[in-house]
Amino acid sequence: MAQLQLKGIRKTYGNAVQETLKGIDINIESGEFLILVGPSGCGKSTLMNSIAGLETVTEGSILIDGRDVTNAEPKDRDIAMVFQSYALYPTMTVRENIAFGLKIRRMPKEEIDAEVERVAKLLQIEPLLDRKPSQLSGGQQQRVAMGRALARRPKLYLFDEPLSNLDAKLRVEMRTEIKRLHQRLGTTIVYVTHDQIEAMTLADRIAVIKDGELLQLGSPKEIYERPSCRYVASFIGSPAMSFIPLTVESDGGNLRASLRSADGEQIYVPLPETLAAYEGKEIHLGIRPEHITQPLAHKAGQEATSSGKFRIEVTEPTGPDVMALIKINDTEVHCRLDPDHTVDPGEPAELMIDLSRAVYFEAGKEARIDI
Amino acid sequence: MASQIEKKLTPSRILIYATLLLACVAYLIPVFIMIITSFKTTGDIRSGNLISFPEVWSFEAWAKAWSTACTGVQCNGVSGFFWNSIKMAVPAVLISTALGAINGYVLSKWRFRGSDIFFSLLLFGCFLPFQVILLPMAATLGKMGLANTTTGLVIVHVVYGVAFTTLFFRNFYVGVPDALIKAARLDGAGFVTIFVRILLPMSVPIIMVCFIWQFTQIWNDFLFGVVFASGDSQPITVGLNNLVNTSTGVKEYNVDMAAAMIAALPTLVVYVLAGKYFIRGLTSGAVKG
Ligand SMILES: Nc1ncnc2c1ncn2[C@@H]1O[C@H](COP(=O)(O)OP(=O)(O)O)[C@@H](O)[C@H]1O
Ligand SMILES: [Mg+2]
Repeated sequence: MAQLQLKGIRKTYGNAVQETLKGIDINIESGEFLILVGPSGCGKSTLMNSIAGLETVTEGSILIDGRDVTNAEPKDRDIAMVFQSYALYPTMTVRENIAFGLKIRRMPKEEIDAEVERVAKLLQIEPLLDRKPSQLSGGQQQRVAMGRALARRPKLYLFDEPLSNLDAKLRVEMRTEIKRLHQRLGTTIVYVTHDQIEAMTLADRIAVIKDGELLQLGSPKEIYERPSCRYVASFIGSPAMSFIPLTVESDGGNLRASLRSADGEQIYVPLPETLAAYEGKEIHLGIRPEHITQPLAHKAGQEATSSGKFRIEVTEPTGPDVMALIKINDTEVHCRLDPDHTVDPGEPAELMIDLSRAVYFEAGKEARIDI
Repeated sequence: MASQIEKKLTPSRILIYATLLLACVAYLIPVFIMIITSFKTTGDIRSGNLISFPEVWSFEAWAKAWSTACTGVQCNGVSGFFWNSIKMAVPAVLISTALGAINGYVLSKWRFRGSDIFFSLLLFGCFLPFQVILLPMAATLGKMGLANTTTGLVIVHVVYGVAFTTLFFRNFYVGVPDALIKAARLDGAGFVTIFVRILLPMSVPIIMVCFIWQFTQIWNDFLFGVVFASGDSQPITVGLNNLVNTSTGVKEYNVDMAAAMIAALPTLVVYVLAGKYFIRGLTSGAVKG
């Protein structure tokens, strides 16, 4: 368990013109589970490799428990890493794979045996200890890869998309298992994924990275409810947040905006006072599917809720919900309905819009308007 | 299903088998004639026909070729040349394979600035005709005091072979996932440990490819042998040439054939022992990590 500080990390690969990491600052507390998310190629692996010492950084510094390890060798950083491809040594048995790092660190034989036993038990891979990696299923290889990381009891664990190669069911199982391990061992973990559900379920904090820049760092709740910019807003959440263009109007001192359905019907929704500076201007309303629903009795009459008729374009039942597509102000908008509330595609339905969690963006700008 | 399809003898399949069979026969007939001729007596050869079996199987020609046939002025058979070849080929194969493995490891997993250019230049070595390096190499060996020695020949073959072995190993290691090296570095392994403990154990197929390739090249080489060696360091190819070209009365075809078989046997043995790896190593690439 250790604290990890990344200070202004910049990285340009030797043969590259573009900077891959453009100044990343993150403090990771001891025992924290930090998730890095971002689109493919945004520099997540580069950052992980830099933390591990497998790549050198061009600028900035890396501190583990306050000790500057920016130029330390990987082996001197006391870090273990789990790779997407597992990277098990193909000619060694599972036991040898787990013991390899311990042997190199000259741990006495009995201690190694004990440690292998402990890890094997923890991950329930005892029956596999004498097999070669090629004789294991993907899920088993994944466990062994984690076992190898756990065996050294390093200060810091790095997981680079460890579950990406597993099928959906196994992925959910392993996700739970990793969460349980973290709760049990209280280790510091930096974990890369591009699966936003993995990010939301596992993380203490999420760092959203794009093009080598840290867009937002915060708890899953913060990231979900108060995304710093349009990109984060649409990256996290599925189906994604909808962005509805509207014009801020004033109605006797109160701010409001009109929402027009595909059938031309119009309703007015109240906007927060803090948008006064945008009166008469076009802004974008960001709203998540779960905030446009069938009329809910317990929300009726609340300040931020409004109702109106909107034509249902398409419905997609998912089991617990029915996702429906409607059009507001000529923009496609997702909403989430109760499966017991029957709606017919092509027909108008009465829907309730709750703006209490809505976010707003200036037209043509990335950053969220702070309200 | 698959086996049913295989069993069906379609016309195209028959054509394929017929062609293969024909090719087999075409390649094997000369070997067959060599073998039966080497077991015939001189009289047998004169009276019988080329492809008939010997009337009596005789090992005389083999014995003579090995120890008493004349190769020029000396009449000690090819045995001396044979051991020369062993003394030359074994170290040369081992050294060139070892160097190739290390080169390939560095050029694929520890790239440095300019390593790709280095590799390209090294590849030129594969395309250099033997003749081009004869004079410079002779001069170099002379300066080193290694002219006409087995050590000199070993050096020549190592230098010439390293281009090939490097190519083989480098391409094999490029297929080994980099994550394996990263994992090992985090486990605390260094340059040597990663090579010895992780990469070498998975390199058996490509080592075999190098052994076969290098052994065949070096064992069968005539030009370097005839230019850079003399007298007591000449390899079997030179010995065979001398034996066949020494005219003392009647031409003893059985002895010539036996000597040729002796010269060819080691490469055959190596191929039979390691051959299954050869195809596998050339086609499979590296083990998945
Ligand atoms: N060894 C390298 N040399 C040059 N460029 C690289 C290297 N590794 C990655 N890159 C580049 O850096 C960028 C980020 O890559 P990476 O960190 O692997 O992204 P991610 O893991 O987020 O998908 C990509 O544009 C990639 O092409
Ligand atoms: Mg990556």
